[in-house]
Amino acid sequence: MSDLWEVLLRHFPEFRSGFLVTVQLVAVSFVIAVVVGLVIGALRVTPIRWARLLGGLYVEFFRNIPLLVLLYISYLGLRRAGIEIGPWVAGTASLGLYTAAYVAETVRSGVFAVGKGQIEAGLSLGFPYRKVLSQIVIPQAVRSVIPPLGSLVIAMIKNSAIIGVALGLADDLLKQARLINSRTFQTNEVFFWAAVGYLILTVTATFAVRSLERRLVVRR
Amino acid sequence: MTVKRNMRWLAVFACVFALVGAACGDDTESTDGDTESPVEEFPAGSTMADLQEAGTITIGVKFDVPPFGFKNPETDEVEGFDVDLGHAIADALGVEPEFIEAISDNRIPFLADGTADLILSTMTITTDRDAEIDFSIPYYVAEGRVLVPEDSDVTGVEDLAGTTVCTATGSTYEENLKTNAPEAKLRLVDTYSECLELIQTDSVDAVSTDDVILTGMIISDDSLKLVGDGYTTEPYGVGIAEGDTEFKEFVDGVVSEYISDGRWAAAYENWIGQYTGEAQDPPTMTLEEALEMRPCEEMC
Repeated sequence: MSDLWEVLLRHFPEFRSGFLVTVQLVAVSFVIAVVVGLVIGALRVTPIRWARLLGGLYVEFFRNIPLLVLLYISYLGLRRAGIEIGPWVAGTASLGLYTAAYVAETVRSGVFAVGKGQIEAGLSLGFPYRKVLSQIVIPQAVRSVIPPLGSLVIAMIKNSAIIGVALGLADDLLKQARLINSRTFQTNEVFFWAAVGYLILTVTATFAVRSLERRLVVRR
Repeated sequence: MTVKRNMRWLAVFACVFALVGAACGDDTESTDGDTESPVEEFPAGSTMADLQEAGTITIGVKFDVPPFGFKNPETDEVEGFDVDLGHAIADALGVEPEFIEAISDNRIPFLADGTADLILSTMTITTDRDAEIDFSIPYYVAEGRVLVPEDSDVTGVEDLAGTTVCTATGSTYEENLKTNAPEAKLRLVDTYSECLELIQTDSVDAVSTDDVILTGMIISDDSLKLVGDGYTTEPYGVGIAEGDTEFKEFVDGVVSEYISDGRWAAAYENWIGQYTGEAQDPPTMTLEEALEMRPCEEMC
């Protein structure tokens, strides 16, 4: 037990710096994921055929390639092709674009969850398509999109650990834990604290999403 | 392959049941087939006897560090200086070696949890590591140097301030570089092949680790060069599970025989000398001398 606290106290600066790097990675990737995910999700539900196809291509590409492979492609692949991409950009863009594919699918299923009958009813009552979307479809879609979005954020926080493993792209929490472990060999204690760090993030995210849900969700 | 393996197992079991242990060693095929010295017998319960009963020894080596441990792309077999010594130890036991990949980060846990019986992966003897595992006598002494692209201005470890330097997580160079190039930014990766990728794509300015590992990189990419003198001494030892004194003594014996009977020199010429054109005597350093060079840094 005393070892546990000793490891934390002695290596607190490294743990803290790793934790902060993970927070930054997750924050930047999350913004990319939500912005790109909304755009792709919108493409996936438009009545325009080629836009739906484009959105579909994006989703199938990013969802069907392991994140680790994406990291190698986006960093080493692009650099070999002469594009001077930095480790930070490669890491956050890969994680963000990867998660965006899932966000897009969540958006699509949220929109589809709103019955087609409601759209037809809205249109037949004389609402313009824009109004049907903003007044009828989107408020209801948000209700079913927020909870799965919470799961995606949690998955993203955990996936961020891969960035530090691949080519040392970031000195995040897991990376710092591994560095401490390689010097102290106190594997159990070190990774216990790494797990606590990730738990702090995921639990915070869970509560944040829940409170967002309470505020945004339209009651049935 | 499977049939052959089964036959071998049958042979091993037959030996054990017939209690003619001395004859068993000759049944197992030696991969080299040159030395067929009679295999020693060991007291029951010792690691050596257990390994002989199992018929195999699991040895953790590098898979991506030519010329010490690497997969030959043509044969798909692991080869190298470390691997040769692993074969020598297995031959001395009369068992088949099984080589598994041990990266710098996981090799010490591998010994503790029994995943590997021995670690032969360019591992520098340090006091910190000695607190966790046991080391054999040094079987190779490397030097820390710096590798840069041909057009680089860096001329040695003293020029690394402000540059990004790649080395392996959990290797001694984490500390070596912090001491010798405190202003350098470190890029710590899992395997040295990643360092090679990173320097080839200009993602890092330099790679620093043992001279022989860097030489291996130059063999695969001659647009890289070694600069500066050696700034650290890195005696390699065989990693053995902590507290297994009998096994350590056995491995020490095999290593000193390997050094004294000329096999060391042959392996050196085969894996290193013919590429560098340099000659080197086998190490004479004792384990105590090696440990003195690396006093405790973290946990003792």
